[in-house]
Amino acid sequence: MSASIEIAGVSKVYDGGVRAVDAVAMDVRQGEFFSLLGPSGCGKTTTLRMIAGFETPSSGAIRVDGADITHVPAHKRDMGMVFQNYALFPHRTVAENVAFGLRMRGLDKATIAAKVKAALAMVELSGLEDRRPAQLSGGQQQRVALARAIVIAPRVLLCDEPLGALDKKLRQQMQFELKQLQKKLGLTLVFVTHDQEEALAMSDRIAVMNGGRVEQVGTPTEIYNQPTTRFVADFIGDTNIFRGERVGPNLDVGKGLILALPPSEMQGTGVLSVALRPEKIRLIPRAESAAAGSSAHGIVENTNFLGGAVLYRVELAGGHRVLVQQPNAGTSRLFVPGNGVTLEWTPADLVVLKD
Amino acid sequence: MQTTASPSLPAAQQTASVRAPGPARPYGRYLYLAINIAILVFLLAPIAIVVVFALNPTPFIQFPPVGVSLRWFEKFFASRDFMHALGFSLEVAVLTTLSATALGASAALALARGNLPGARLIVATMLSPLMLPAILTGLALFQTYVLLDVGRPTWGLVAGHTLVTLPYVVRTTLAVLHNFDLRLEEAAQNLGASPVRTFFEVTLPLIKPGVLAGAIFAFIVSFDQFPVSLFLVSPGNETLPVTLFNYLKFDLDGTIGAASVVSIVLAFVVVIGLDRTVGLRSYVKL
Amino acid sequence: MMKALGPLSRRRFLTASASLGIGTIAAPYVARADDPTLRITGWGGKWGDIMKAEIGPAFESEFKCKLQTDSAFPYLPKLQASSRSAPIYDVLHTNSNEQWAAAEMGLIEPKIDPKLVPNLADVYPYAISDKIVGVSIFTSAIGLGMRTDKGYSGVTSWKDLWDAKYNGVRGGYVIPVNSLGQAFLMMCGTLFGKGQTDLDAAYAALEKLKPIKIVDFTGAMEKMLLSGEVGMCVIHDSGIYRYDGQNQPTDFVSPSEGVLSLEQVLTITPGSKMKELANAYVNYMLRPEVQKRLAETVWYSPANKKVKLDAKYDAKLLTTPEKVSKLIQVDWKWYNERKDEIDQRVNRIFRA
Repeated sequence: MSASIEIAGVSKVYDGGVRAVDAVAMDVRQGEFFSLLGPSGCGKTTTLRMIAGFETPSSGAIRVDGADITHVPAHKRDMGMVFQNYALFPHRTVAENVAFGLRMRGLDKATIAAKVKAALAMVELSGLEDRRPAQLSGGQQQRVALARAIVIAPRVLLCDEPLGALDKKLRQQMQFELKQLQKKLGLTLVFVTHDQEEALAMSDRIAVMNGGRVEQVGTPTEIYNQPTTRFVADFIGDTNIFRGERVGPNLDVGKGLILALPPSEMQGTGVLSVALRPEKIRLIPRAESAAAGSSAHGIVENTNFLGGAVLYRVELAGGHRVLVQQPNAGTSRLFVPGNGVTLEWTPADLVVLKD
Repeated sequence: MQTTASPSLPAAQQTASVRAPGPARPYGRYLYLAINIAILVFLLAPIAIVVVFALNPTPFIQFPPVGVSLRWFEKFFASRDFMHALGFSLEVAVLTTLSATALGASAALALARGNLPGARLIVATMLSPLMLPAILTGLALFQTYVLLDVGRPTWGLVAGHTLVTLPYVVRTTLAVLHNFDLRLEEAAQNLGASPVRTFFEVTLPLIKPGVLAGAIFAFIVSFDQFPVSLFLVSPGNETLPVTLFNYLKFDLDGTIGAASVVSIVLAFVVVIGLDRTVGLRSYVKL
Repeated sequence: MMKALGPLSRRRFLTASASLGIGTIAAPYVARADDPTLRITGWGGKWGDIMKAEIGPAFESEFKCKLQTDSAFPYLPKLQASSRSAPIYDVLHTNSNEQWAAAEMGLIEPKIDPKLVPNLADVYPYAISDKIVGVSIFTSAIGLGMRTDKGYSGVTSWKDLWDAKYNGVRGGYVIPVNSLGQAFLMMCGTLFGKGQTDLDAAYAALEKLKPIKIVDFTGAMEKMLLSGEVGMCVIHDSGIYRYDGQNQPTDFVSPSEGVLSLEQVLTITPGSKMKELANAYVNYMLRPEVQKRLAETVWYSPANKKVKLDAKYDAKLLTTPEKVSKLIQVDWKWYNERKDEIDQRVNRIFRA
């Protein structure tokens, strides 16, 4: 039966004072696909290893279904794990690899055989029972690792960049399959990745980590549409970030550009950062006049054709460079470098960031 | 393949690839073959001479041999001294192999995993018997035993042999541990294996090739050990190499050759046997 | 059998007889754990075989003790490494030169007390001369060994070895490690100079011996002579006579200038806890019947004047005062004091 996890103010300080994880607090709900997302060195893997029991927190507590497991050794935690590069036992066959956890649980041979067969069928590897890991492709090894982890019906499935070594196409397929499997089995899954697209595509919720801390926890849409910190806004997708001084209901970001703040943010003084996603901006041929605070003139500097969309970099009159993404509406409607353009946006799309 | 040399290639490689299709190649190949044959002859000639010596009926080395006879083998197997020495050498070699392997493999594990302070110094200390002339190790141990007044017991000899065979086990085990993926142990623990179980289910099978290679070295080095044994054998309990050396001083006949042939065959059998029973070949790849 | 018992052994013998009854004496003796152990050194080969099979067990049985023989070289470093007060040997058996080295280091007692070893009264003078520490129980004669099938004839003198016709088939020893080689070097001084200690004359003579085949072990020289690789060499008589009866085309020549003695010497260590048993052992080894048995096994000349060997052995070994008078003993004390210098010099001669 899947479980919930509570990470309560956990820190990990290594010898020499390196603070790998700093007061991380989050809850993973039962049956949830929960991703830890961040650049390398952000503490996401250390956090996962503390959940698995391979590292002991320097402070704080980890609870599973309310029970404190902070100091329970790894082999008593009843969690499945899929490792980066899979960590399959090279001296054992596929079937023996999958059977390993069942054997450790003292099940009888017949039960083990049946469960191994079912697990291999689930990951579509039937027939490869007697191969050794070295004789399998990367994708097949990945499936064996997955089968080995889920066959023990773990309370929690932990995945450490499990798809990182696969090529893009296989990776997308595995993302889909893993998600399907997780839903089907109702698994609580903690998934570590540095790939924001992967995290956005698969997760129920995401914790974005940076420098050992959690920057923001939220659903993919929340994370993408309402990043709360400059780091999150910058790390997830492309974005334009402006920083300036409040002047009444507006933000003066310098070089003659004034942005109207969204209605909810009109009060206050001081310095502020705001983010504006490239696709929230409309690009039109140079208009005669521009509405102050929600439009600007510029010149297309270069274009990046993405297929379904086009990403433009536009240099505004004052010197700011802004990314703008427009749907590919047909060849005749596309701009080319040197075109004079006008940018328009809705102030409500500006997201105010914490620094 | 294009032979236009790219400027980044080292000079030697360039010449090689440019010259490859040219007429110089057969000569290089003959030279290569000749050198290899010469090395083989150099390595195998002593064994061949020993075998000829052992089978030749005259009590001295003679070329060409005058015949084939098993009289020296008969003499060897009929000699109680040699048989006792052979048995004792095997006993010492087996005990040495067991202790050196157990100690060496554990030490290597501790050194590779234990995060010990001064690990490099410990490794250097453990490997030091390789640097020291073995005769000094033997003499020093002999003096230690005399000082401790323990006489020259078999365990003392085994301890001496263990000392000089330990480096081999430590070295070969450290080598496999160096490439060991720690995540394999974590995976086992994650799947419910206790640390002890993890060791026997995962760690040991995976470091086995290195441990086994060390064990084989330990056996051979102990079985052939002369300098350390020289001082540590006690009257009536001499190892085969010491017995052979003493025999050599009085009777230089084919029995020496027969004993050497038996030693070679025995060492070979043990190596093959270990290989087959404990098995190196089940690991196609690590 | 019992006539030459020393005082202790007689007492032991009586006690043993009283407690066990006379009938058990003849039975093969099985040493018990609490029996005293006499630790000695000894040769391997035929010597070792007969010591192990007959002579050792008879001693153990007679003296109710255990004989522990170390036949693994090197004896001297082992003795040197062990404590003076608890040496690892009670009786040291080596050739004379090593005994002198041991005496220099104080590892052995230089003299054996004739009161404790009555058989000492019956040995030839050479066996307890001032050139000997302890007692020489046997000697071999170092002379010339030669092939009899190569037409070499008229060999009577050491100097024949220098004859150019032996170029290529001449055999000698690595002097730093071989007693025969060392004794021969001293002989060279006598032959070509003012005497044993005339090293310059000896070096010059050795220089003229080249080309010469040199070996470490005496056993190797025997084999080279048997195989015909060497036609004429320096060798001890027992190294030739031991192949008696095998029809080997080899013979031993006693040069007219005399033969060098290669003594088998016994000494006792000062720290021995088994002094009485040690003396009994030395005495036992000098007994005529023990001497005879060993002499006829390994072709060593016995030191005891009273030994009567079978005719075959008597004819070849040094068994009369006249024959014994041909023995030339080497001053090993003098030699050992200069050993390093001599080693360096001869190494240079034979390396070139």
